[in-house]
Amino acid sequence: MKKVTAMFLTSAMIVSSVAAVPVHADEAEYPETGKLVIYAGALEDECNAIGQAFEEYSGIDTEVVVLGGGEILARVQAESSNPTASIWWGGGCDSIMNAKDQDLMLQYYSPTAEAIPDNLKDADGYWTGVYTGYLGFVCNVQRLEELGIDAPDSWDDLLQEELKGEIMFAAPNASSTGYNVLSSIVQLMGEEEGLEYMTKLDGQMASYTERGTGWITPVTTGEITVGLCFLQDAVDLMVNEGYGDILTISTPEEGTGYEMGAVGIIAGGPDINSAQQFVDWCLTPEAQNIDQEYGHYVFLTNPDASTPEAAAELAKTTNLIDIDFLWAADHKSDLLEKWEEATGN
Amino acid sequence: MKEKKKICKDPFTLLLIFTSLVVVSVFIVYPLFCILKSSIYYQGVFSFDTYMDTLSGSGFKIAFVNSMKLGFATAVTATITGFLFAYVDACVSSPFKKLYNVTSIVPVISPPFVLSLSAILLLGKRGLITYNFLGIKNANIYGFGGLLLVQTLAFFPVSAMMFKGMINNIDSSLEEASRNMGASRLKSFMTITLPLLLPGFANSFMLSFIESITDYSNPMIIGGGYKTLASQIYVQAIGNYKLQVGTTIAVILLMVTVFVFLLQRWLLSKKTFVTLTGKATRERQMIKEKSVVIPLNIICMLFTLCIWLFYAFLILGSFFKMWGIDYSMCLDNFIYVLTYSMDALRDSTIISLLAAPISGVFAMIVAYLVVRKKFRGKLYLEQASLLGLAVPGTVFGLGYILAFNNKPLLLTNTLAILVIVLAMTRLPVGVRSGIASLQQIDPSIEEAGRNLGASSNKVFWSITIPLIKSSFFSGLIFTFIKSMTSISAVIFLVSSRYNLLTVRMMTYVDKGRFGYAAACATLLIVVVFAVVGIVWKFLSKMGISTEDVMSNI
Repeated sequence: MKKVTAMFLTSAMIVSSVAAVPVHADEAEYPETGKLVIYAGALEDECNAIGQAFEEYSGIDTEVVVLGGGEILARVQAESSNPTASIWWGGGCDSIMNAKDQDLMLQYYSPTAEAIPDNLKDADGYWTGVYTGYLGFVCNVQRLEELGIDAPDSWDDLLQEELKGEIMFAAPNASSTGYNVLSSIVQLMGEEEGLEYMTKLDGQMASYTERGTGWITPVTTGEITVGLCFLQDAVDLMVNEGYGDILTISTPEEGTGYEMGAVGIIAGGPDINSAQQFVDWCLTPEAQNIDQEYGHYVFLTNPDASTPEAAAELAKTTNLIDIDFLWAADHKSDLLEKWEEATGN
Repeated sequence: MKEKKKICKDPFTLLLIFTSLVVVSVFIVYPLFCILKSSIYYQGVFSFDTYMDTLSGSGFKIAFVNSMKLGFATAVTATITGFLFAYVDACVSSPFKKLYNVTSIVPVISPPFVLSLSAILLLGKRGLITYNFLGIKNANIYGFGGLLLVQTLAFFPVSAMMFKGMINNIDSSLEEASRNMGASRLKSFMTITLPLLLPGFANSFMLSFIESITDYSNPMIIGGGYKTLASQIYVQAIGNYKLQVGTTIAVILLMVTVFVFLLQRWLLSKKTFVTLTGKATRERQMIKEKSVVIPLNIICMLFTLCIWLFYAFLILGSFFKMWGIDYSMCLDNFIYVLTYSMDALRDSTIISLLAAPISGVFAMIVAYLVVRKKFRGKLYLEQASLLGLAVPGTVFGLGYILAFNNKPLLLTNTLAILVIVLAMTRLPVGVRSGIASLQQIDPSIEEAGRNLGASSNKVFWSITIPLIKSSFFSGLIFTFIKSMTSISAVIFLVSSRYNLLTVRMMTYVDKGRFGYAAACATLLIVVVFAVVGIVWKFLSKMGISTEDVMSNI
């Protein structure tokens, strides 16, 4: 009986402690804090370089917080009534699109965004692409030799007998990278055939990883042979981290999908003028070229910017399919449900 | 009734009670409420749809069963291992005691996921041991087996610490008396030692079970396809952009852990254990029979070797140019980490130094109130302060962001929020150990003080605190270490101004930069050793027996 009373008391205290907290304060009107806070979803040194370059360019005090795309979304969601950052830069654009749907982003048509091709920006002006990264295969060279096969260069190659239990990529229902694989395959092959392919691929998997970068440890150490991922991470490992002879990358000849990192202004964030200035600046060729120095081997969205050398090489040999990001976002839960049903995941 | 009236006339106790209730409500209960709210209240609509969808999904069922299996298995192995280490230390003669003691500290001073990393690099398909030395081609460290190994190694030190504290508090003359009256070694162990340690077993089982099912970093790294509830919270909320599904799983996981917790309390409430004097009066005689000494030493030695191997290669790994490829020694990793992550190392140290005393003092106050005082809301205070134990760190972090992003409690992006979240996540452990050591001290000692005319305040500081000070200081050191190595609660709360080394480390692991991650781990271990060493010096200067504190670690 005593415990029951205590339970009541507990719940009463919970309710009262909650009631004591006021409901949202009125939407603050872009308070000026004198500095710009950026949530950035790319490699750390590069993100910091972007922040620093903007500081030098504009004289605005700039802080960069480096997080994953999903982490940025969770934060922006959680902070929605009192955002601390005004800029969202990088990380998969699907997370920014998701944020847009939840009214977490602010509309802004930047004059410099006009130079960016239409398929790389939001028609409503909520976000603009800053870079794209290609989906492809990363293989451990030594393991390929042991298996006696060449690096796969088509989607069908992944289904060969030798690669059974040798492939990893992120689970489509756990990671945006994984979903990008699924939606790219479906956009490439059509829904029925695509799902059939994904089911066959399911039989080839060592396991699905929880995060898009989950392949790195198993492939670099030779646990498994093939990782299916965005290639910029692999190129970076090869060029900057000494994995040049250990890994090899290839893309499927039938064509492959890509991801896009985008920039947008977070709704209700402070210092909107600085934020707009940042968006204008980061889409210029000069700002995009910073990527070259910092090993983020991606493809820049501004046609006048020069793509990093290592990536340019890749671009020549890669067959990109037309990706409809909007379609992919709209069909996400539907496609995932079908995929889960087909593969039993 | 009389007791309660007395409290009203005792402003010191009243103040303690009031402050504790407020702190616990605001910093533990309220963030959890925010999580609960976010799981059922979305864009202005209340609904339990997410629960329906989640509970009916097959993925959830698998994760649930997996978590339970892993939790039970880890709880059993970690408790037994912890007890063995403590028992050998306190009661069995062995030339390796110092080594065992150090060994059982090592996993505590590094982030738990470091063990996963070592396990993959040493025991995986291409592991240094399995592949290079033993020539096994298909070793599989991913999944249940690997997780059980890593979690046992990561969580047994906590139960070892607890058992050591408890065994040292048992007066060995009790056992000797029973031996003198003709009981066999086994009989006196079963009828005297074991019953006295029963709260410890229940406590350790519960702690390890909950640590296991709330651990998200190890399943993320070494789980392979083995989904657990804790990793699914992160995967759904962050990877899959479904905050609501994540918080829903979190609430369900919370219900499980709270259930376990209540079950344990109910089991223990049937018996109380008080040893007469509170403190052991003299040296315990070590067991020298070979039939006991040899097998126990062998088991402890195996664990010891395993742990040293894991850590030796982690530290070596920070000097290797590139693991698995180029084993030449260099300082590149340290140079990189010190260039880019010095700020994180500094912030980690400062924040942990602040969190430890706050958590330690507050835990002792709560434990004291819970054990010694009768007041309205006592059960709430106890349950709520221990609730943190049952909350996955990720959920705590998310809850803090949801809870403290509004005025008047605007704390996001401050140093304070990191300090508070770390202090609160470690609070339950301190409270538990405080309660455990207070329960072994007969209240009549304090009563005697009061009868002689001392005030509550005076009794608390001159009798209670000195009696539990070794448990307090070990709690302090423990909280500092745990704060330095914690990751899940803080991953949402770091900001551009205050970053933490473990979060950087996870990023490095995530991107496959083992060298950098290993260098971070090495630096972290160095800082922890340095700080603990200084605290040690300080304690012995103050005349506090470091032996006692040590025995509690």
